[in-house]
Amino acid sequence: MNAPLSIIRGTAHRLGDDINTDLHCSAKYNIGKPIEWLAQHAFEQLAPGFAAAIRPGDVIVAGKDFGINSSREQAVHVLRAMGVAAVVARSFGRQFYRNAINNGLPIAECEVSAIEQGDAIEVDVAGGRIEVPSRGLRAEVPRLPPAVLALVAAGGLLPYLREHPDWGLPAA
Amino acid sequence: MGQTIAEKILGAHSGGAPVKAGDVVVATVDFAMVHDARAANALKAIDSLGLAQLPHARNTAFVLDHFSPPPTREAANVHAAMRAFCERTGAVLYDVGDGICHQVLPENGHLTAGDLVVGTDTHSTTYGAFNAYGTGHEGSDVAAILATGRTWFRVPETIRVDMPGRLTPGVWAKDVTLAMLGRLGAEGANFRVIEYAGSAVAAMDIDDRMTLANHAAELGAEAAILECDEKTVAWLAAHGARAPRPVAADADARYVDRFTLDASTLAPKVAHNHDIGDVVDVTALAGEPVQVALIGTCTNGRLDDIRQAASILRGRRIARGVRLVITPASRAIYLAAMREGLIEALTEAGASVDPAGCGTCVGITHKLMAADRERVISSANRNFKGRLGNPDSDILIASSATVAASALTGRVTDPREIAADIRAAA
Ligand code: SF4
Repeated sequence: MNAPLSIIRGTAHRLGDDINTDLHCSAKYNIGKPIEWLAQHAFEQLAPGFAAAIRPGDVIVAGKDFGINSSREQAVHVLRAMGVAAVVARSFGRQFYRNAINNGLPIAECEVSAIEQGDAIEVDVAGGRIEVPSRGLRAEVPRLPPAVLALVAAGGLLPYLREHPDWGLPAA
Repeated sequence: MGQTIAEKILGAHSGGAPVKAGDVVVATVDFAMVHDARAANALKAIDSLGLAQLPHARNTAFVLDHFSPPPTREAANVHAAMRAFCERTGAVLYDVGDGICHQVLPENGHLTAGDLVVGTDTHSTTYGAFNAYGTGHEGSDVAAILATGRTWFRVPETIRVDMPGRLTPGVWAKDVTLAMLGRLGAEGANFRVIEYAGSAVAAMDIDDRMTLANHAAELGAEAAILECDEKTVAWLAAHGARAPRPVAADADARYVDRFTLDASTLAPKVAHNHDIGDVVDVTALAGEPVQVALIGTCTNGRLDDIRQAASILRGRRIARGVRLVITPASRAIYLAAMREGLIEALTEAGASVDPAGCGTCVGITHKLMAADRERVISSANRNFKGRLGNPDSDILIASSATVAASALTGRVTDPREIAADIRAAA
């Protein structure tokens, strides 16, 4: 078994609704740019200096449909290269949701309106809980099912498959 | 409790126990598809597994359609890698000029009713026209499917759209989707499955049903699934598909949203302003000049589309200064159009015909470069700024009939008017 996912504690960085990750953190529209360059410039049209403010272990908090449109796996690689430890959003674009899990990025669906830029946030995807202890905010969120948690804990779908010589996927 | 079509298909592919929206299942995939624009990523993911054998490769097709023929050395190298992979693993190859993935899969009998199909492309929803659950995933999933035959799914919620009545002449499935986009907005059905049902859907031919399922990608849909009827069964049999396993929704299935769209009331529609969700009736834009007209893509490059264009343009000539490009969705469609004399009629009318494939859809292969402030009218599926290479030209999205009528006059034109002119002249 993989180690259980630990609780993530970091600073919340706010973004709005309908963030298109193809546009803001993949090479689809920045052809030929390496991951490191993309990681330094991600989301800068939406929030100048956004990437520079992220410390490893921080959390992006966004509105509805984060990662909408035909999102690329690379967007998740860029988020990880930025040091983003988790994304909390009201909802996710369907392909981003898969890409995050398939590439080992913890995500949680949560009503986010009370969370503010700079909040010290705790994200417990295994326990189904989001908290901002300093302000007494606490929300229960849908727990990621065991099948999905195992993929995230392993670092993604392919690392999971490499660790399991029978190529079996975890039971839902 | 009743189940939707998506719940039934995912349940049947993950051990048979009933599943409901929100559940996560690991499901066996019947067929997978990788196209050239995502092949580099998919092959890298497959390689990273380091497997000597890929037992499920035979249930996968690799399709060379986006760069067909390849415009760059990089694209040609991706094609070479795809050919070598198919040679080594037994995966099915469709080469340059064979057609667009979403057309060649059903045409070659790779899927049937009740199937679960995954492709590396958002328009994999097309397979829903055949009562299959078709959806788009990325390279990691495809690697998992080639290695294990399975991947995981979060069972989606479903929107039910009941369509009584019948589309009137000059109105097509394209206009239905544009009406849906006007109502829900671009990506307005994100992560959801759409079930289209009712007499208007039953009356549609398979080509139009494919448009309906395909174009749900612009609504952000996970899949769009139609019911299986005699037309579906006959088409599948004629294309050598496996025996259908039709799946219908239960009367008491749980939907996240359900509404009625009366087909008889719909008019031809146009999306504009670089937003596929900004939709108006064609009459609202009638008379606006257009300079570039495009008929093709996985959304509207089928035989019915080419027939619509030919019925409007046969024996006539497109307006001065207009460039009309037609791209058949597959080699089979190209040949059929040729044998019916449609290619000849359209070429005489002033159209250029591309080899089968994605053609001008993305401004990467053949740049369909419009001049600054020129307007494009296209039967494709996306109109975001710069999709065709020039961010300073608006792209109007409309049915093939509306595109052909507009190419004829050089202005946005309601195809029903041209049809009336043709009847009057006859
Ligand atoms: S025709 Fe256009 S939308 Fe369809 S698969 Fe090709 S590039 Fe994508």
